[in-house]
Amino acid sequence: MNAVNFSRRKFLRNTGVAGGGLVIGISLAGCGGGLPALRGSPGSLVPNAFLEITPENIIRFVCPRDEMGQGVTTGLTTLIAEELDVTPSRIQIALAGPHPDYDNPAFGMQATGGSTSIFAHFTQLRQVGADVRALLLRAASEDLGVPVSSLGTDDGHVLLGGARHPFGDFAATAREPPLPEETPLKRASDFKYIGKDFPRLDGMDKATGRTEFGIDVEVPGMMRAVVRRSPVIGGTVKRINSEAAAAMPGIAHIVQIEEGIAVVSEKYWQAKQAADALDIEWSLPALADVTSAQVKADYKAAMDAEDGDATGEQGDLSAGFAAASDTVEHDYWTPYLAHAPMEPMNAVVHVEGDRAAVWCGTQGIGAARSIVAKVAGLDAEHVEAHSTYLGGGFGRRGTLTHVAEAAQISKATGKPIHLLWSREDDMKSGFFRPASLMRIKAGIDDSGQVSAWFAKRVGGNIMPDVVEQMLPFMLPNAVPDGVVNWLAGAVEGAMDGWIVDGVSVEGLFEDYDFPNREVRHVTKDHGLPLAFWRSVGHSFTAFAKETMMDELAEMSGLDAVEFRVRNTRNNPRLQNVIKAAGDHMRRMRPTAGRHLGFAAHHSYRTDVAEVAEISVENGAIRIHKVLCVVDCGLAVNPDVVRAQMEGAIMFGLTAALHGEINIDAGEVTQSNFHDYPILRMNEAPEVEVVIIDSDAHPTGVGEPGLPPIAPAVANAVYAATGKRLRSLPLKLV
Amino acid sequence: MIEFRLNGEAVRTDDAPDTPLLWTVRDSFKLKGSKYGCGAGLCGACTMHLDGQAVRTCILPIAAVAGKDITTIEGLGTPDSPHPLQAAWEASSVPQCGYCQPGQIMSAAALLSANPNPSGEEVETAMAGNICRCGCYPRIKQAILDVAKAGHEVQV
Ligand code: FES
Ligand code: FES
Repeated sequence: MNAVNFSRRKFLRNTGVAGGGLVIGISLAGCGGGLPALRGSPGSLVPNAFLEITPENIIRFVCPRDEMGQGVTTGLTTLIAEELDVTPSRIQIALAGPHPDYDNPAFGMQATGGSTSIFAHFTQLRQVGADVRALLLRAASEDLGVPVSSLGTDDGHVLLGGARHPFGDFAATAREPPLPEETPLKRASDFKYIGKDFPRLDGMDKATGRTEFGIDVEVPGMMRAVVRRSPVIGGTVKRINSEAAAAMPGIAHIVQIEEGIAVVSEKYWQAKQAADALDIEWSLPALADVTSAQVKADYKAAMDAEDGDATGEQGDLSAGFAAASDTVEHDYWTPYLAHAPMEPMNAVVHVEGDRAAVWCGTQGIGAARSIVAKVAGLDAEHVEAHSTYLGGGFGRRGTLTHVAEAAQISKATGKPIHLLWSREDDMKSGFFRPASLMRIKAGIDDSGQVSAWFAKRVGGNIMPDVVEQMLPFMLPNAVPDGVVNWLAGAVEGAMDGWIVDGVSVEGLFEDYDFPNREVRHVTKDHGLPLAFWRSVGHSFTAFAKETMMDELAEMSGLDAVEFRVRNTRNNPRLQNVIKAAGDHMRRMRPTAGRHLGFAAHHSYRTDVAEVAEISVENGAIRIHKVLCVVDCGLAVNPDVVRAQMEGAIMFGLTAALHGEINIDAGEVTQSNFHDYPILRMNEAPEVEVVIIDSDAHPTGVGEPGLPPIAPAVANAVYAATGKRLRSLPLKLV
Repeated sequence: MIEFRLNGEAVRTDDAPDTPLLWTVRDSFKLKGSKYGCGAGLCGACTMHLDGQAVRTCILPIAAVAGKDITTIEGLGTPDSPHPLQAAWEASSVPQCGYCQPGQIMSAAALLSANPNPSGEEVETAMAGNICRCGCYPRIKQAILDVAKAGHEVQV
């Protein structure tokens, strides 16, 4: 597989995946080995990788994307249900194991992220539903001896006259190929489920504690493992004394793995206590010399001294500044952040001779299987992989070091291993949203146009870390390690040397007309592992861009909404969202002591504008209400869209008010929720979501609600106090 | 050997007395609904009821529950016979990833049995110990108020 495929967003741009015309890579044959979820009952109809219809009329859908809370099981099931003509709640949902048929059409690999799921599967899965419905009608016409034209369908039944025949009655006949193709899809006006609100399909299981997450997996003979890792990420064991730990009750194995020392017991608590009793001396990596203050100082020096690489140029920047009546320049700081999903990292792996199995909740089950195969020295076909629900993802579950660790421990002990990271492990030894220093210099002319926009970012890049982590596991095992390392190095070098990692500057310059602009990037990487974090580059660029736009609006004498409207002539969809949010904002009329702030941002093909209503009391910022206007094309389940906006706003507020990962002598100083606080209910605002009515192809939903919230709050703080805050988290004192 | 009642049944365990109740329930009794989130009493994912009170079981040694009544999310209700809060959670699509929700519901159930008609502010105060990283707070709060308003008999 070409390394470029790892650039999840860049790949998308290069291949130009568009709304329609997706190729459906479904094979009728070959549904045996790779599709554990569909090794159905005898007599079942399994027309493709996605559906099974049993003679008892049980309808199963294998959901190709990972459910991490974003509602994808509900959304994708709705697509199938609509065209197959079955009530969504009647469909049983299974989670896909690895198989090319379950690739994300947006990436060409089996991964969930980038707010792509509904966008990429919208046409594909409706087509699957429509084709299978046509197949069932053909079989029914044969079995009942009537023409297809005399048949109808309703909620999993074929209708003939007044009679209702369950789909399952025709499963046997429908097994005869061929599967109809390109059956016409429903018109939007005929939709029964798409665009309608109904409860999430996983709600009751989640409310009764029955949903199986990775942490809940039990397999026979399973042992639990806890790993002690270097306090500085990347350190290695220099000396180990495990005597005290080995003598503790229930300890079955103590093994050294690449990342540290693993303690294995039948019970988690025993393993945890023994791991704490290990006496380890570490060889520390170069990161051990780094502190947060140093990172900041290095970024500042680089910002002033280095030109970096250019991207996103347009027009003539100096002419733009010459035409400006007013110019302003500021620097913006955003820190490293942890993802902190509620379920800490975990995986179950069993390496058993020439076979292996893995169970985990991940944003890439195919890669998880490859990692186990690589560690076990097996071909991927000999590794069974089982997906579970994810207790939060946010990009953190796109990383897989915990799977590699579990595989090493299982290989060493021969036992099925359940590895659980503690919260402290996750906070201190994980992956992080990169820190950024951004500089924006902008000029406005007399008509309130931004005539010049210069933006520059200094910081680490995510893509090289992702490539470095994943590449060894994505190549065939036959490729020698030396070649793999060389390739990984070459890719990383290439990315650092002559192209700007798109996700490092995304969102810094694209939204407004900016006829004259220049974007530059300086890579400074201190070695803390980096990963995608909900909304990725947009999570920091929107803060710089939208607080600067607010400042420019004030300089121009226009209000925040009118100024943005004047600078989005080339971007009508964003402009419309800005106008709609502006209308709502005018009606908000905050009471005395409360103030409003506005921000808008385009990400993942979706446009969002948010208004934050806040107050400041004794230097503390309190957010009372957030209004969110979103245009995500057709909302497949509007209530899920609302929930994602609410959730992204809360996630963004944690970052805006509290989020900060620091390092001291290379060690992450935060460790748990007392020093990495997450927004709590008593701090959570009321949220009102307005979805723009649209029948355009659906676009991203999981991430786009996040970027505008920090600048909306910062702009409201300015309205309240006259202070422009240009660092996150927002602090007045 | 420590004995207590788990969801109405008498149980006994050989786990060391300092083992947190959460791990005895998950590892020894294989009830997986109660979750590990922080292990330090900071997030509420592990919340169960001890004689009707909401407790953080990741820091509660089993020695402290000898002879007591413990209820987990599994004992609160099932899909066929849900607790009113569980029904409201489904109807209002409260859960996102769902990982925190057993703890949220156990805290909410304890709140409503102590205070069947809480104000919005009282809900916020009572629920401030339960983190939801997915940010379901507005829906959690509304669902609790809805259940209170519907005047369901809430028993733990
Ligand atoms: S796991 Fe017990 S409070 Fe967090
Ligand atoms: S629903 Fe995901 S943490 Fe609450």
